[in-house]
Amino acid sequence: MQDVITIKGGKDSLRMQIDAAADWQEVLEALRLHLDQAGGFFAGARLVVEVGDRQVSEPQLAEMLELLQHHGLRPESLAAAARETRNAARTAGLAARPMPEFNPSQAAASSDGASTLLSRTVHSGQVVRHPGHITLIGDVNAGAQIIAGGSVVIWGRLRGFVHAGALGDHEAIVCALDLRPTQLRIATLIARAPEDAASHVPEIARIDGESIVVEPWGSYKRG
Amino acid sequence: MVRVITITSGKGGVGKTTTTANLGTALALRGARVTVIDADIGLRNLDVVMGLENRIVYDLVDVVEGRARLRQALIKDKRLPDLYLLPAAQTRDKDSVGPEDMIALVNQMRTDFDYVLIDSPAGIEGGFRNSIAGADEILIVTTPEVSAVRDADRVVGLVEAAEKGPPRLIINRLKPQMVSRGEMLSMEEVVEILAISPIGVVPEDEAILTSTNRGESVVFNQQSRARQAFSNIARRLGGEEVPFMDLTEQTGVFNRLFGMFGKR
Repeated sequence: MQDVITIKGGKDSLRMQIDAAADWQEVLEALRLHLDQAGGFFAGARLVVEVGDRQVSEPQLAEMLELLQHHGLRPESLAAAARETRNAARTAGLAARPMPEFNPSQAAASSDGASTLLSRTVHSGQVVRHPGHITLIGDVNAGAQIIAGGSVVIWGRLRGFVHAGALGDHEAIVCALDLRPTQLRIATLIARAPEDAASHVPEIARIDGESIVVEPWGSYKRG
Repeated sequence: MVRVITITSGKGGVGKTTTTANLGTALALRGARVTVIDADIGLRNLDVVMGLENRIVYDLVDVVEGRARLRQALIKDKRLPDLYLLPAAQTRDKDSVGPEDMIALVNQMRTDFDYVLIDSPAGIEGGFRNSIAGADEILIVTTPEVSAVRDADRVVGLVEAAEKGPPRLIINRLKPQMVSRGEMLSMEEVVEILAISPIGVVPEDEAILTSTNRGESVVFNQQSRARQAFSNIARRLGGEEVPFMDLTEQTGVFNRLFGMFGKR
């Protein structure tokens, strides 16, 4: 059984996920308990709230924000599938972004047009971020970052850092003509490229059970 | 109309200053009016490489802060009448000038020169940002080493973000024999990684070291292989189509003979 509230460390902010089924009062209680237990651990941290496809009204949101701010957290943005919830967040002064509904079969498909196509070289120090899928025609050089809520397709050489399913989608995949990332993440899992020689065939990375597996495109297609 | 060209690299020690001095000299030899600016405030050495250290009276910071007029600070080259140096200050740091100062400075030169070459400091901080602020074009220097190429790639991204137009690439200190043995990145490999167009490849050449130590440009050394490379870059900057040197043929008769013995 999943916790009502999950708080995870992200790259430069915390991410709080809220169970979609739980009653709102239950959510607030769980949050209060979580923050009390943590002491001042979260104080000053920036926070992204992910509410999934739950509908949250303005008063409900205000109550939660007050609780978070009381414990020194700095809520910055809110990810929600429902437009009404995002509007409530904007009213409360948060940045709001859409989030694919928590449904694996839909998450695997495109999150209604939320994908982007780029044609360029991503150089070291540059970051491409998108809440949906990312398709890139070109190379991702070492030191560059690709972060997608959905899947990542690189028609070129992938040498940098890549994170697919960054909002928690375990169905996300990463594929590239030459898949040699310095680090590859899907959802909460992390993989490092092997040190030995490159295969130079198109490959695909996905989650299988509890780990990330990489296989040549040819065998994946047949499999 | 002047062209303001910044020579930068990210990584230190890849030959920005040598490139600036030699390219400035090569352009002046071809009849252009050229100023080279040392933007590495606090760590100046373009004056040393050009052998003009003992002629410095005023520097870039003096001009920016109004203690000297630009004309007073410019130092004429020892040999070429149309080559000038604006030296950096040695006793100040990079925060002494801002990007708007550099823009104002190069704008003062727009009428009197054909080329203004700016020697950027290493790094990607304030000094680098100052040096590209007034530039019309950017040349990125790298050596064929993985770490230098990585830093050059970072700079390519920053130049892109600064909307300076696509930078062009100079690959410096290439060792053809190491490339042919597969021990060094080739020009093609570096170009493929950085995805910018090359304007020159300069072979490793000991003459560079002796001439920079003596404070004179290698462009005056007729024997130097690097000399030809810098002259070619100057011609390409002028819009000429000059094929890239075939460096594999430059190994000389002796090495080719040794190569034959080696095969047996």
